[in-house]
Amino acid sequence: MSVSMSPNNIVLRSLSQIGECGLFLLRILAAVPRSLRHIRETVRQLWFVGAMSLIIIMVCGLFVGMVLGLQLYDVLSIFGGTSATGTVVAIAIYRELGPVVTALLFAGRAGTSVTAEIGLMRATDQIAAMEMMAVDPIAYVAVPRFLAGVIAMPLLCCVFCALGIFGGHLVGVNWLGIDNGTFWSNMTATVDLMKDVVNGVLWKSVVFGAVVSLIAVFQGYTTPPTSEGVAYATTRTVVASSIAILALDFVLTAFLM
Amino acid sequence: MTEPTRAKPDDNALVRVRGLTTVLNGKKVFDALDMDIPRGKITAIMGPSGTGKTTLLKHITGQMRGDAGEVWVDGNQVSALSRDKLFELRERIGYLFQNSALLTDFDVFENVAFPLRQHTQLPEVLIRNIVLTKLQAVGLRGAAGLMPTELSGGMARRVALARAIVFDPMLILYDEPFVGLDPIALNQVLKLIRTLNETLGITSVLVAHELEAIKQVADHIYLIANGKVVAQGDPKTIADDGSPWTRQFFGGESDGPVPFQYPAGDLGASLGFPRRGA
Repeated sequence: MSVSMSPNNIVLRSLSQIGECGLFLLRILAAVPRSLRHIRETVRQLWFVGAMSLIIIMVCGLFVGMVLGLQLYDVLSIFGGTSATGTVVAIAIYRELGPVVTALLFAGRAGTSVTAEIGLMRATDQIAAMEMMAVDPIAYVAVPRFLAGVIAMPLLCCVFCALGIFGGHLVGVNWLGIDNGTFWSNMTATVDLMKDVVNGVLWKSVVFGAVVSLIAVFQGYTTPPTSEGVAYATTRTVVASSIAILALDFVLTAFLM
Repeated sequence: MTEPTRAKPDDNALVRVRGLTTVLNGKKVFDALDMDIPRGKITAIMGPSGTGKTTLLKHITGQMRGDAGEVWVDGNQVSALSRDKLFELRERIGYLFQNSALLTDFDVFENVAFPLRQHTQLPEVLIRNIVLTKLQAVGLRGAAGLMPTELSGGMARRVALARAIVFDPMLILYDEPFVGLDPIALNQVLKLIRTLNETLGITSVLVAHELEAIKQVADHIYLIANGKVVAQGDPKTIADDGSPWTRQFFGGESDGPVPFQYPAGDLGASLGFPRRGA
């Protein structure tokens, strides 16, 4: 095993990256007031990372809801509790699957594209050109993409949840014959606005949006300006985001329950 | 009280480099380098590849800081400037990158308009007029709607030049402006550099290898090697200079003070041949 791949080195390098990422977050937050004049750029990025991710989020949300409905109906029918299918689908999607799967999809779809875009901007001297034109690249490039991610994630998560429940309804009610009224009434009676929707959908997705966007922007901004560097940075965005999402999900769930 | 970052106001040099020493990756790129770039003139910086010509431009613009020494631009010590002051200074400097560095999300018009939109509140009509005037100057008014990917290397270079002069800067730094240009485009760029210098009085610094092109426009040439200025003067003086540096560089000789080979060990040992007598 080479020295650079030793476990100690990997741990040290990871800790160092986390530290640098934290300092980068401070730079981003400090640049937020300066970036307000680039509000059009933020809206443009919101379109790229948000609206352009809608299709994948909708399709995946629908299928996750459908498979959840199918599995739960199968299990609940053993205990004669198929009427609870809607409730369990909704709670599972609101509390866990909605924010987590949306964030994982967002990291794969939007995070990688942000990393590659910024990495290529660095490799082709566009970031340096901005600095030479006295334009702060943190305020113009990093902050709009970060803010767009933070804003887009809860919205995408809402879409995912809506399509997920629709998918569960499609399978449970239209296919397997659960009563429509039972499906909705059990769900609305059990799902709690604060505990399930606000804590689950809103808080988690805002935190995941911030984390994924931060990782994506940081990896792109600090990547070596080579094609190999950009490729590695894109991979690191997916790996680091996925680990961060799942680890943070546990922490947030423990605190929010 | 004298401001520590201000030089003497009567200084005719727009850029002054004093005792600049820079070490990169263990290699001394500059070794107490001294240089003056006079106002309103075209100064060429030449030298073998890897001697730090682009690095010197980065020092002038504050993108890099030396390990020792000072770089002064228009009376400001660059390394002592705050970020805001450095950005104020950069608004008065145009920089032409080797690879043009156009913003790939924007078309030609928006690339040239970018600095205006970022730093001014000018009405759209005025921005349009300024941008089209600058594009006309580089012969690309008709290409305003093209994207950077639709441009040839020479066209991209000219768009980058239009962007660099959109604020009528006091200083333009050209990093390898002639690379990849066909003879027509090269002549156009040479004319542009000369015209900008004569009509607007812009001080120009050219980093280039093309001696014939440099001879046509440069007022002063610096030849740097081994981290120091090894020869300087007007093009004629440099051409007549008989020093080994100028002979080798301008004569294209592989043998001379600048080694062709990057420092390496014995070739025979590298190829695994046994040493004689061993």
